[in-house]
Amino acid sequence: MMSWMKWVPILLAAVLLSPLAAPAAGAAANHYCITCHGEKTVINKGAHLYIDPVKYELTTHAKIGCVACHDNVTKRHPADGVRPSRAKCQDCHSSVFSEYQQSSHSQYAGCTDCHKPHATKPLLAVSSRDINSQCAKCHEYSQTVKSHSKWLPRAALHIDALPCITCHTGSENYFITLYMAIKASGSPLGGFNLADFDDLRPFLSAGKNAETMIDSDGDGAISVSELKKFNTNSRYRNIILLGTMMPEVVTHSYQILNNRWDCTFCHVSGSKAQQISYLAFPGQDGAYGRMEVEKGAILDILYGTPDFYMIGFTRSKILSIIGGLIAAAGLMVPILHGTLRFLTRNRRKEQ
Amino acid sequence: MSPDTTMEKIYLTPTPVRIWHWLNALGIVTLCVTGLQIRFPEYANIFGTYKAAIKLHDVAGVTVSISFLIWFFYYLFVARNLVKLYVPNLDDIRQGLFKQAFFYFFAYFLGRQNPHTATQESKFNAIQKLSYLFIMFLFLPLVIVSGLLLMNIEPLRGWIVMIGGIAFLADAHYLIACSFFAFLCVHIYMATLGHTPFSHFRQMWTGWEEVESGGRSK
Ligand code: HEC
Ligand code: HEC
Ligand code: HEC
Ligand code: HEC
Ligand code: HEC
Ligand code: HEC
Ligand code: HEM
Repeated sequence: MMSWMKWVPILLAAVLLSPLAAPAAGAAANHYCITCHGEKTVINKGAHLYIDPVKYELTTHAKIGCVACHDNVTKRHPADGVRPSRAKCQDCHSSVFSEYQQSSHSQYAGCTDCHKPHATKPLLAVSSRDINSQCAKCHEYSQTVKSHSKWLPRAALHIDALPCITCHTGSENYFITLYMAIKASGSPLGGFNLADFDDLRPFLSAGKNAETMIDSDGDGAISVSELKKFNTNSRYRNIILLGTMMPEVVTHSYQILNNRWDCTFCHVSGSKAQQISYLAFPGQDGAYGRMEVEKGAILDILYGTPDFYMIGFTRSKILSIIGGLIAAAGLMVPILHGTLRFLTRNRRKEQ
Repeated sequence: MSPDTTMEKIYLTPTPVRIWHWLNALGIVTLCVTGLQIRFPEYANIFGTYKAAIKLHDVAGVTVSISFLIWFFYYLFVARNLVKLYVPNLDDIRQGLFKQAFFYFFAYFLGRQNPHTATQESKFNAIQKLSYLFIMFLFLPLVIVSGLLLMNIEPLRGWIVMIGGIAFLADAHYLIACSFFAFLCVHIYMATLGHTPFSHFRQMWTGWEEVESGGRSK
């Protein structure tokens, strides 16, 4: 029950030594606080007191340290019975805050409804699924699919493939991010779920990262030939690459954007997003890392990304031309035959 | 044709086949046009919005699928002459194909007679048989199956992956569609080669074809 009690002497010593008030020593202070708040036993005092140290370490907030936000924690904490203060997000994120204030969504949800201050992640470290699960707390999945299917064809496909913020916030540019997905066991038609590190562990030799499955030459970038190797490796036959469109920058201007009614906002070729794409790999700690993919890979008809296709957008130029030639060949028959037919019309009249 | 030949009417195409044919023709033409906009939205905006093109494409695709089933079950269970009408026999392969091609590309221009006469038992010449066989038993089923898969990516993802991926599927769908357009050009043009330019079209509408008695139709 009170097992943390046995640390009190050690901790008290640490408290005396650690310069609590100086945020510069954030890491050291984190460590001190984590010795209690990062232990599962603290849950006995209240589940909200527990902070997952692995997730916390990944945040930028870990760099500024606990006391930057809980600045009145005393040396006698928790025995003093003083409830530590909490910094307001806008103290440090004033521009995000003022942007968000202008959105009507700020009436419905505050910063901490979407972000846990001890488990924040930058955009690049989250998957589209992670983002959507934040929204799903209030916007229930099936309800969202239903309301969007009133106007959006293949609504479930869109909602599963896109982060909500791609349509509901105002980034200017988007890029394609590919995620590894693994076949769900026990699903005969084969639903695929985004793979986390544990899903991929059986395919990795000890101590290796998920990156090594595709970046076989270890140069930190993905080439078409590496994709080919991955796609044709029978060991990975249950793993596919699914693509999504991620915003380039995060905005908090939650809104309904009129141009998102227009399918050709996305379903059109030649937009910038086509030039650059990334592959996101799940890390052991739950955060994603990403690698740039060779230009044009998502358009490569044979070896690029066989399981990612966006109509109107990722069409292959070569095949478009071949198709055009087939159609033109068909048109030539009436033209040529018809010309000869016209020139020889008198012969048939004579008969 | 000489004025003394008398014309005789024979019933060539039963009603269900004609219903299928025009539903199918309307469907395929709609699919080609909407499909053009769906693949090349920046060049072809025919239906106002992309969404309108998608919806129309979906409806036309389902129509074509259902009417294909009508055609298939009618020939299989009611008329029961699918094989006889559509599958080239030995004779067709040995000489029919050549004779017919020779006629279309050469003898026709000299004003010679069509070597094939349409009868209820043998409605199509060897070239018609072969091309209809490919269209009805290869291309149409393939385009229908790929289209239905593309309409249901989420639930059928496993099958799509097994087939070789969605990019392959979408591109195959596109190439088959282009072949349909090519077929359509040739098909409609060839249909004007009857004893008058419109006689085959009238036949496909009413079921009755005029043939010269004891003579030839095309
Ligand atoms: C010796 C273990 C221990 C250490 C070390 C510790 N805490 Fe706590 N902390 C607790 C306990 C136990 C509570 C619950 C107190 C209560 O409910 O009265 C608590 C409560 C809190 C609360 C308030 C929770 C609420 O319910 O409002 C905050 C914030 C907090 N601690 C921050 C910190 C920070 C920041 C540090 C490091 C400077 C730290 N703690 C170090 C044990 C510890
Ligand atoms: C970026 C600012 C920030 C940092 C850094 C930070 N916290 Fe917090 N913490 C908050 C905020 C804001 C809340 C209130 C959360 C809420 O209301 O949901 C909070 C709540 C808490 C709580 C109470 C949980 C609750 O739900 O009431 C504890 C315990 C706590 N923090 C401990 C820590 C510890 C320990 C560290 C360092 C390891 C730390 N915090 C670092 C901002 C921060
Ligand atoms: C004491 C200053 C401070 C406070 C208070 C603070 N943050 Fe931060 N936060 C930072 C800094 C510094 C960064 C890293 C630079 C950046 O992204 O702006 C950061 C980054 C973030 C990120 C990006 C993810 C990451 O880990 O890099 C999120 C999300 C975030 N903060 C949310 C919040 C929320 C929500 C609150 C209120 C509960 C909050 N912050 C309060 C300083 C603060
Ligand atoms: C409706 C949900 C929601 C609310 C409310 C919200 N955010 Fe965010 N925020 C997100 C999402 C989604 C991201 C992008 C993914 C991520 O970093 O988690 C993000 C990203 C961020 C980032 C990182 C930006 C970057 O460039 O990487 C910061 C900082 C941030 N939010 C701060 C805040 C602050 C401060 C508030 C309150 C004023 C707030 N957020 C309110 C959803 C929200
Ligand atoms: C804390 C609950 C909560 C969370 C989390 C949340 N929302 Fe909302 N949101 C609401 C409420 C309540 C409304 C108003 C009722 C409605 O329209 O459903 C709303 C409305 C909206 C609207 C409609 C705005 C308008 O102008 O009509 C959009 C778009 C939206 N949310 C997007 C998101 C996205 C995207 C996320 C995740 C990044 C998210 N929300 C997360 C509660 C939430
Ligand atoms: C393809 C772009 C797109 C995506 C992806 C998308 N939305 Fe929307 N959403 C829209 C548009 C456009 C509207 C306006 C539709 C209307 O007013 O009928 C809308 C309306 C809404 C509304 C308000 C009306 C309603 O239906 O309740 C909410 C809430 C909402 N979206 C939440 C979400 C959430 C949550 C997600 C992610 C799970 C999401 N949206 C994903 C484009 C999108
Ligand atoms: C506007 C488009 C079309 C026109 C004007 C048209 C016209 C005709 C005509 C006049 C005939 C009778 C001549 C003959 O027996 O060869 C015919 C038959 C036929 N057409 Fe078409 N056609 C069209 C589209 C299509 C399409 C899209 C397909 C298939 C995908 C198709 C498949 C067939 C078949 C299989 C027959 C023989 C039907 C039978 O009697 O069983 N047609 N068509």
